[in-house]
Amino acid sequence: MLHARREEWQDADAFLEDAFDRGWTDGLPVVPPTPEKVEALLAAAGLAAETVLGTVPTREVTVTAEHAAINAVMAGCKAEYFPVVAAAVRAHLDEHGNCHSTTGTLSGAAHAVIVNGPIRDEIGIAYGAGCLGPGFRANATIGRALRLVIRNVCRAVPGFLDRATYSWPLRYSFCFGEDEAAGDWTPLHVQRGFGPDESTVTVHSVMRMVSSWDSSSRTAEGVLDTIVADTRHHGFNGDEFLGDQIPLVYVMGKEHQRFFFAEGWSKAHMQEYLFGRLTAETAGPHDRRYNLGHPENILIVAAGGAGMAETWILFPHLAWAVTEPIERVTLPA
Amino acid sequence: MTIVALDPTSGPVDPTTVRRLAPRPASLSGQRLGLVVNGLGYSERFLDALAEELLATTDLDGVVKVVKSSVSVPPDPGDWSRLTEGATVAITGFGG
Repeated sequence: MLHARREEWQDADAFLEDAFDRGWTDGLPVVPPTPEKVEALLAAAGLAAETVLGTVPTREVTVTAEHAAINAVMAGCKAEYFPVVAAAVRAHLDEHGNCHSTTGTLSGAAHAVIVNGPIRDEIGIAYGAGCLGPGFRANATIGRALRLVIRNVCRAVPGFLDRATYSWPLRYSFCFGEDEAAGDWTPLHVQRGFGPDESTVTVHSVMRMVSSWDSSSRTAEGVLDTIVADTRHHGFNGDEFLGDQIPLVYVMGKEHQRFFFAEGWSKAHMQEYLFGRLTAETAGPHDRRYNLGHPENILIVAAGGAGMAETWILFPHLAWAVTEPIERVTLPA
Repeated sequence: MTIVALDPTSGPVDPTTVRRLAPRPASLSGQRLGLVVNGLGYSERFLDALAEELLATTDLDGVVKVVKSSVSVPPDPGDWSRLTEGATVAITGFGG
């Protein structure tokens, strides 16, 4: 049974204009969340409306599956996307996701939703060429659904509980998959303790996103040394809340991946190589230590298309990277 | 054709449970000023200068200053006690 307040509008256009007026959107049009559509999403995830996905204690907010489903419909999600949205909301609201801080911060941190496992191909999560940008319904609407939950349910509205100085475009939507078949690397979710046949989301707060572009190096070590230098240009001092779990995400494209596949580098080997170099003492104003606690806190994700010799560095805000399983039900044929 | 849709919010803020602003004193005369420094940017330098100015221009009874150990955590219990027991008004600030 649904619990949200219902209202009647003259038609979909009237709903949309009212949604803009009431501040229910991110500035883009939304789909009217009819009870039938919301129920279809809940059914696809096997969740009761009142299932609690998490809380924001500082705002006295409890987020239910119904809240998430309403906002997922508004974002344009298909029913089969909702298990991913529910898992992403859980991950975001995990205690270590530090949701009050990452959504209220002056820095305007965004949230990357990284999808692993079989569900990627089942629902069309893009992980190849162009996967960080527009053009893919699953990526665009799942990332947007999380942001609408943050806005409408968790009350992170600009000028109210969202105090971002600039905010940034990644806050509209930021979701992509890992290209698990790119080579013989262990997928991210398997490195984090899940089975290869399980599907997961990893939510990572992103304070800044920096390109590490290197089209000159012809060895794996050369590529990694460039990535280290670009990472250390910014560095990270450490933080009491994060403790020894400060994360760092590298999204490595094909033109960099191929050196590692050719030379037989595993992700674990890369993590070890990077860890010592990233945590070495600061050497100057443009060479700052990145205060990681463990090599495993370096999350390496294969994604993107061919052509650009580039790895994206996703620097965190004040949150751990949290991985949650995607729970689904088998729908009748 | 009319449509029925659902409210996407967690509801209006309940005025009976929302935290309200503390009463503002008419003057700082005789008050003890609490300062909570979050550690960002020049916040400590700014609040020190503000306290110096207020001590010079008002009849403040004193200052209780707390410096958080990290921007992402609240003051520790001992500092909370010093603030709640020793200060009658407080200023915090943030900024990068």
